[in-house]
Amino acid sequence: MTALVLSSLGFLFAVAIYLAVVSGRRLARPGEFLYGGGQLPSWALMFAGAGVLVGGLGLQDHLLLTAMYGLQASHVALGLALAALCAAMAHKRLRIAARAMRQFSPIEIVSAYYGGVALRVALIAVTLIFALPFAAHALGLAGNLVAASTGGVVGRRQAVFTLAVAMFFVSALGGWRGVVLGVAAQSFLMLALLLFAPLFMVGAFDHLAVFAVGPAALKGALADQIPGVLQFSAGVGKDVAAGGIFTTLTIVAAGGSLIGVVLSPAAGLLATTTRVRNGLAFQQVWLVAGLATGALLVAAPILAAEIAAADPAAFAAGAPSLQALVARLASFDALAAAAFLLMLFASMQIVVGFFVTAAANMIAGDVIHRFLLPELTGEGRRLAARIALAALYAAVALTAAYAPLSAAILGSVALPLSAQLLPAYIGLCWAPWISRQAVVTGFVFGALLVIFTEPPGLVAFEGLFLDLPWGRWPLTIHSTAWGLTFNVAICLLAALFTKSGQERGRRELLHAVFRQVAPRPRAGSTLTTAKWSLTLIWTFLALGPGAILGNTFFSKPMFTEGDVPLGVPSLWVWQIVAWFFGVLLTWWLAYRGQMSIVEDVAVPTVDLGPPADPFGRRAPEWLALLVSRVSSR
Amino acid sequence: MALDEDIETLDRHALVLTIWLTAGLIAATLFHFGAGAGGSAFIFAAFVVVAAAFVGHVIVNVVLGRDFGARELALGLVFYAVALLAFGVATLLSPDFAARAFWATSLGFVGLSAIFVVYLVTKSGARSAFESFDVIRSFRAGRAPRGETGA
Repeated sequence: MTALVLSSLGFLFAVAIYLAVVSGRRLARPGEFLYGGGQLPSWALMFAGAGVLVGGLGLQDHLLLTAMYGLQASHVALGLALAALCAAMAHKRLRIAARAMRQFSPIEIVSAYYGGVALRVALIAVTLIFALPFAAHALGLAGNLVAASTGGVVGRRQAVFTLAVAMFFVSALGGWRGVVLGVAAQSFLMLALLLFAPLFMVGAFDHLAVFAVGPAALKGALADQIPGVLQFSAGVGKDVAAGGIFTTLTIVAAGGSLIGVVLSPAAGLLATTTRVRNGLAFQQVWLVAGLATGALLVAAPILAAEIAAADPAAFAAGAPSLQALVARLASFDALAAAAFLLMLFASMQIVVGFFVTAAANMIAGDVIHRFLLPELTGEGRRLAARIALAALYAAVALTAAYAPLSAAILGSVALPLSAQLLPAYIGLCWAPWISRQAVVTGFVFGALLVIFTEPPGLVAFEGLFLDLPWGRWPLTIHSTAWGLTFNVAICLLAALFTKSGQERGRRELLHAVFRQVAPRPRAGSTLTTAKWSLTLIWTFLALGPGAILGNTFFSKPMFTEGDVPLGVPSLWVWQIVAWFFGVLLTWWLAYRGQMSIVEDVAVPTVDLGPPADPFGRRAPEWLALLVSRVSSR
Repeated sequence: MALDEDIETLDRHALVLTIWLTAGLIAATLFHFGAGAGGSAFIFAAFVVVAAAFVGHVIVNVVLGRDFGARELALGLVFYAVALLAFGVATLLSPDFAARAFWATSLGFVGLSAIFVVYLVTKSGARSAFESFDVIRSFRAGRAPRGETGA
């Protein structure tokens, strides 16, 4: 088994390095190393986009959580459809903005649109959180998996460093194009194996545990129901929510946190550097909302139940592990076990390769080239990107090898923090009245709420000062919802007072381009209202408080006395129905609503003025005044 | 903006490689299990996966306005021939394998050939499909200019 696992991994990397080398050799100019010349193929966007979302959800973590909490945890996968809706809202216009501003990097686009330095710093911070702790957590999990599946023949740290070196070569040889092609290939593999694994079990095993004994869950957790709309719990770490932590408000916010992946600068970069025909719409509707969401909703409970059944003792002790399932698969066929492991490896490598490469390229382009060394040639930019790649991969490998707990703690804020960029993207794409001040103020409050309802803030504050009365996700509300509620409220309040400021004229320049290149359909306000209201209604019923109806909706229908013997839990049927309507809604918005169809028209150039220099010598007035008062005494 | 031909070729190559590697892994797993304890259904499933990959390759060709390259055809034929040879050798040397997997594997190979023929007939029509394999005619056509000169 060890030889098979290692050779499978080696083969996976050999293909990735091959794709990187052939991509690197075909760069027309060295400068295209950073963004692939903005000509990545549509198919790469389709598969890579879906793969990055599944990787962002954390496939291994999702399977283990589903094994521990049952269908309530599996329900979070419906958030992928919500992420697809968010992508439909943002990515087409982001791409038009990129063409109009002659930029590829979302950091540059959003910063130039709003002006100022604060948002640029926030975007770079979000990019680095994805590239460092979040990626390090994924790399650490991959190292654990290698060590466990080889029986310790390859040590955890050895595996981490070997994987990091291999991925560095892929990134350094192939640039953005090479990495995206590799990520797309691995995403295709992962999604195919996600469908294949349960189908293989159906054929090979005598019976599936999920149908024989029902969905798995730890003692005290509801396996086939959602434990309420919310619970008056102080949060994880302070007390234990009855029936499980995934109440409807946790589900809607944890699922909603997946919009953090869509709004991350790396995912935006993927959208802006692709030559899109119908690629955006196809990706959002059929691959993310359709295939990825459906595969996870169906496969995760099946795989989770098998994980629980494969090692009942470990499960009863509250520590389900994948190794028992891998061993059981290997007892049937070693190749099947290797395929299952490859699926998990692929999901982790996608996260590491994609986010680290995107971050290195954007740092080289948006910070080093733009502000520090503006005279850099194409070759210089490529060298800068490779140096940034080396530094980031080294940091990721060291963190994953020696500080996995820190990586897990810090990485936990990546998705919710990135989701706090929602008002910024809504303003950029649809609402010119949302000002820089409103976005920045909202983001600051949202970020604070996220940090103090997730481990980084709690651990730091309680370690330095005193115990807080709340834990992680107080009131069983996920940190994304805490942050976004305050973020949006404060952003709207601030926008009321700043919407007609001097900067609005500058922002309107871009929206004039939107009106010219992608005018809204002429169906009037009814259609617009329908778009927003149907999205909200779907979210409420599929993920939000309305999902509580799914607990018994199909097994004990309302206004009837009898039970309906479905053979599967009512909640699982509810999830499938919600998924179906989610695909339908995404299709309607993306295709019929023209929200993701990119017309092949010339985009006029728009000049929003020079960017504010974050390294400029001009100090803020209040700071200069303070310094002068102190220094004059 | 006109796209570099080389880059388009690379993008198509990467996609086709992705499809075949994924299908190859799944088909190999199914066949391995089918030839062992799994039985004929898994062997059939393995060939169905290969056929699906072929259909996927054809769809990619249609969408991107390309055709199978000479290297792709050669590689496909070599793989098919090697697999057929390995199947023959395994059947002769292992009675156990022959008893368990002969019919299913034979039908799988025949099915793949049939799918390829159907593809050719659909794409080019029966006459053109036949002519592309008419070696004697091609040989004569290749010699024709010399014959005319000699006359």
